[in-house]
Amino acid sequence: MTRRRRWFSILTALAIVPCLFAAALAAWGQDAPTVPVEQAAIKSPVQQAEPAPRPPRERMAVYVLLAWVWFSIVALLGFLRLRIREADRVFHMGLDRAAEKKPKESRP
Amino acid sequence: MNVVRAWIEERLGLRAVTHFLEKKEVPRHKHTFLYYTGSSILLFLGIQIVTGVLLAFYYQPTLAEANASVVRIMTEMPLGWLIRSVHSWSATFMIAIVFVHLLGIAFTKAYRKPREATWITGVLLLGASLAFGFTGYLLPWDELSLAATKVGTNLPKALPFVGAWLTQVMRAGEDVTGDTLSRFFIVHVSVLPLAIMAFLGVHLFLVQRHGMSGPLAEEKKNVKVPALPFWPNFVFREAAVWLVLLGVLITIAIVAAPGIGPKADMMAPAPEGIKPEWYFLFMFQTLKLFPATILGLNGELFALLLMMVGMGLIAFLPFIDNRPAERKGRIISGLAWAGLAYAVGMSIWSLL
Repeated sequence: MTRRRRWFSILTALAIVPCLFAAALAAWGQDAPTVPVEQAAIKSPVQQAEPAPRPPRERMAVYVLLAWVWFSIVALLGFLRLRIREADRVFHMGLDRAAEKKPKESRP
Repeated sequence: MNVVRAWIEERLGLRAVTHFLEKKEVPRHKHTFLYYTGSSILLFLGIQIVTGVLLAFYYQPTLAEANASVVRIMTEMPLGWLIRSVHSWSATFMIAIVFVHLLGIAFTKAYRKPREATWITGVLLLGASLAFGFTGYLLPWDELSLAATKVGTNLPKALPFVGAWLTQVMRAGEDVTGDTLSRFFIVHVSVLPLAIMAFLGVHLFLVQRHGMSGPLAEEKKNVKVPALPFWPNFVFREAAVWLVLLGVLITIAIVAAPGIGPKADMMAPAPEGIKPEWYFLFMFQTLKLFPATILGLNGELFALLLMMVGMGLIAFLPFIDNRPAERKGRIISGLAWAGLAYAVGMSIWSLL
């Protein structure tokens, strides 16, 4: 694993970890309240509407959409990786500063 | 094309901005990843604005229609459930990353001179984000949101002199009613967005004005930290992080879409096991643990005053920690770690 790739993996993990921690806390909070069973049966609120579509066809369509989203993200990440490498190469070679360093042409 | 560009340049003078961005550099060190959190917050804020506008097309902030309109959004509007889920989860992600951003700045002492005002505007942005969460929680108008809002708006009542008045202002009356719902909706869709834009404008201006802070150790040694050009090297990296976060957000929004409870009944008793949003859990648990009286004072008032002192200390941290490289700075870092452990521990405890 190259240094850049390792760095990017760590960065991605660090970006996702807090989101997942918050998601776990939020999802945990959405669960049924922890009260005795007989009380919960009477008092804890029930869901009025399904959070996501139930029909298998619609659910499948959503998962296909999700697969396309991830496929597009992976393709774009591959493209961005190439652009980052190119930009880094230009920077390390100093080509981005070459225009500034060029001496001004003397006018007749 | 050049004519159009020249026309725009003549009127807006954008060349100065593009020139600034071309020259802008980002310090490169072991904490560089923290710089990505700022732009990730902007990504989630943008998603919140877009999905919020879409939801507002169908949401009706009235006692009779609020809950039913959310049910309609979830069941009748094309992909309405997904838009609501993305709105809800992006709020969670945004606040999580705001916390990470703030903690990162606190632990790397990036608030040190001359960035005190940047820190203060950041704390104000955190406050606005939490207020967004609090006001948005009531809008579905189901049993849990009504009960949690009653508890939340009842808290300031413990404060002497202004407590009752503050509760009345928040509720638009004595109790949580349809007027409270309208007030929360207006605050959620117009007051807070204006406030967040104003704070964000000042915050971003200050970030550009002072540049990104480098590591304290290198600054102390007077060593120049290697830098990366903002455009295009840093922006492309940011775009990669945005894409991954976007994928995670959509996946979680699909897999764990939030439901909605039955319409709130103002006369019904509060349901069991009321819990606020995850970012208020540590305060909720702290309040639960406080005894009824402490040193002759009302326990709730004592806890509230303690939290207000804590918030004040956080807001004015750069002025308190004015010697970050010395012993005082290290003690403050230790206290900050202890505070973070306390908040995480209390949040987990309240869910057990």
